[in-house]
Amino acid sequence: MNPNNLLTNILRLGCLLTLMVIVLGAYVRLSDAGLGCPDWPGCYGKLIVPEGSSSQIEEINLVYPERPFEKDKAWKEMLHRYLASVLGFLVLTLTFLSWFKKQFSNIRFFSGILLALVIFQGILGMWTVTLLLKPIIVMLHLLGGLTILSLFYWKLLREQSMNGVFVSAGNNKLLPLVVMGLIVLFCQISLGGWTSSNYAALACPDFPTCQGKWWPKMNFFEGFVLWRELGVDYEGGTLDSAARTAIHVAHRIGSVIAGGIIAYIGLRCTLSNHKHLKMTGIIVLILLITQILLGISNVKFNLPLSIAVAHNGVAALLLLSLVTLLHHCKCDSN
Amino acid sequence: MSNRSITDITDVVWHDYLVLCKPKVVSLIVFTAVVGMFLATPGMVPWDVLLFGTVGIGLAASSAATINHVVDHRIDSIMARTKQRPLPEGKVSIVNAIIFAWFLGTISMGVLAFLVNPLTAGLTALSLIGYGFIYSMFLKRATPQNIVIGGAAGAAPPVLGWTAVTGTLDPNALLLFLIIFVWTPPHFWALAIYRRDDYAAADIPMLPVTHGTAFTRLHILLYTILLFIVTLLPYLVGMSGIFYLVGAILLGAGFLYYTILMYFNHEDKLAMQTFSYSIIYLMLLFAFLLVDHYIPMIANNL
Repeated sequence: MNPNNLLTNILRLGCLLTLMVIVLGAYVRLSDAGLGCPDWPGCYGKLIVPEGSSSQIEEINLVYPERPFEKDKAWKEMLHRYLASVLGFLVLTLTFLSWFKKQFSNIRFFSGILLALVIFQGILGMWTVTLLLKPIIVMLHLLGGLTILSLFYWKLLREQSMNGVFVSAGNNKLLPLVVMGLIVLFCQISLGGWTSSNYAALACPDFPTCQGKWWPKMNFFEGFVLWRELGVDYEGGTLDSAARTAIHVAHRIGSVIAGGIIAYIGLRCTLSNHKHLKMTGIIVLILLITQILLGISNVKFNLPLSIAVAHNGVAALLLLSLVTLLHHCKCDSN
Repeated sequence: MSNRSITDITDVVWHDYLVLCKPKVVSLIVFTAVVGMFLATPGMVPWDVLLFGTVGIGLAASSAATINHVVDHRIDSIMARTKQRPLPEGKVSIVNAIIFAWFLGTISMGVLAFLVNPLTAGLTALSLIGYGFIYSMFLKRATPQNIVIGGAAGAAPPVLGWTAVTGTLDPNALLLFLIIFVWTPPHFWALAIYRRDDYAAADIPMLPVTHGTAFTRLHILLYTILLFIVTLLPYLVGMSGIFYLVGAILLGAGFLYYTILMYFNHEDKLAMQTFSYSIIYLMLLFAFLLVDHYIPMIANNL
């Protein structure tokens, strides 16, 4: 196989795998299976989820009295860990290739960064469990995953561009706008992660108002304390209503700002006469509208698991669509 | 790797897109919608309905105007008056205009459905389809009664404003609908007389083209008499007071004066003056409705 094709395929696999790990992670979290295994890296001390015979369960529950064994939750959690490990091995392979195969030497920097990020993600994954779903850890774990996804995807676009498969439009006039879009989207995703990890998605049961008001009782200082004490079980959330409402409303306000900026970017690209920009612009707009509708549905339908997971998945896709625009804007000279 | 410089083609000229929205027409539509909102409630319109309702209805009207540009781009390139519109001139491509109209329509529906109420969103969608598609695509080319029927879409805005506030269809709202509905034919036919050669060239069966100007003048006069009677209704049903009644009679007398003049004097200039007056007439009539509505409130505070 042509080494360039090999690299492209590895990158494709990386994108797909990362997206799966992210969405699976959201599924695990949203189905309250994040602590399905109370220990790390094993599950109740085993590498594979225990069979769950009645004597075995008794034995396990003696050792972990605070977290009785639930087989389905344990499996969800472990599936996420297994899949993430596969991703880890993929990145490790890429790093080895870059150091030992000459034709891959140009990706040493890229794979090095990726490896560091994946290791960090592993540690965050461990802390997620050992620090009992501490909100800041959960949020950073999400952002780390999305960063890895974006890097994989960015490299894939660049690689395909070199091979003439997916040509860059080379338009650097839009660059500042797209960079701004990426920044606000990243902030908005962080707010979304903060909303989820603090169990604030249902703090406002109504839309567009919150608790029947446009400006309900809120406590932003309490809601945005990033670091809280250790040893507390954060499952189900620990904040009071005013703090959760503040987080929720911040995510709504964020959606107006980020949504407005991204809609402008999407529309502008859609109305351009360049084929690739136009296509990507349309995709940005469709994903944006979908994402807003999913967000509203989360509130209106009382956070159904499927919609909540989709809200996470479409956020990732929206990020990728903006990365694609960034790729089109970057006009480098080779 | 492609190194093509395309810096020029991503420059979206927003001014051309603004022209597609027909800002003057849209502002009249939005004005009548806002008056509809205020008439629907004895007190102040809630700020969110006022803001989101106005934005939603305005965006829908802009979307419909853009669709109208798309549908008419061929005719527009024939008529002298419309030759320099963005689409015939090629400043905006057809595809881009369609995308733009979709974008405006989607945002409008989202705003109205989620931030105002679904009834308003539904009725707005119907009016948008009525004007953008049914009128522009079919009616306009099908019958000399095109604008009489199509006037229903243009008469919708005050009803939309009303339902934005109340969430229900109120008989008084339909009265406002009726006023604009009856006002549209004399308003539009006055313009059509002035522009009959343009319409004939573009093969559009406007009444002056198909039935001659004398027949049209008679119809303008008859519709204006009808309009005079219809505008008395808000007073007669008790929706508005004496202040409105005086205004409606004075404005109506002015309109009648123009159309009677038109009936005997066949100068094109007069047709154009009647057209201009009809716009001012409608704005002032709605202003009278609005002020009259708040007179009790102001009187109470004195």
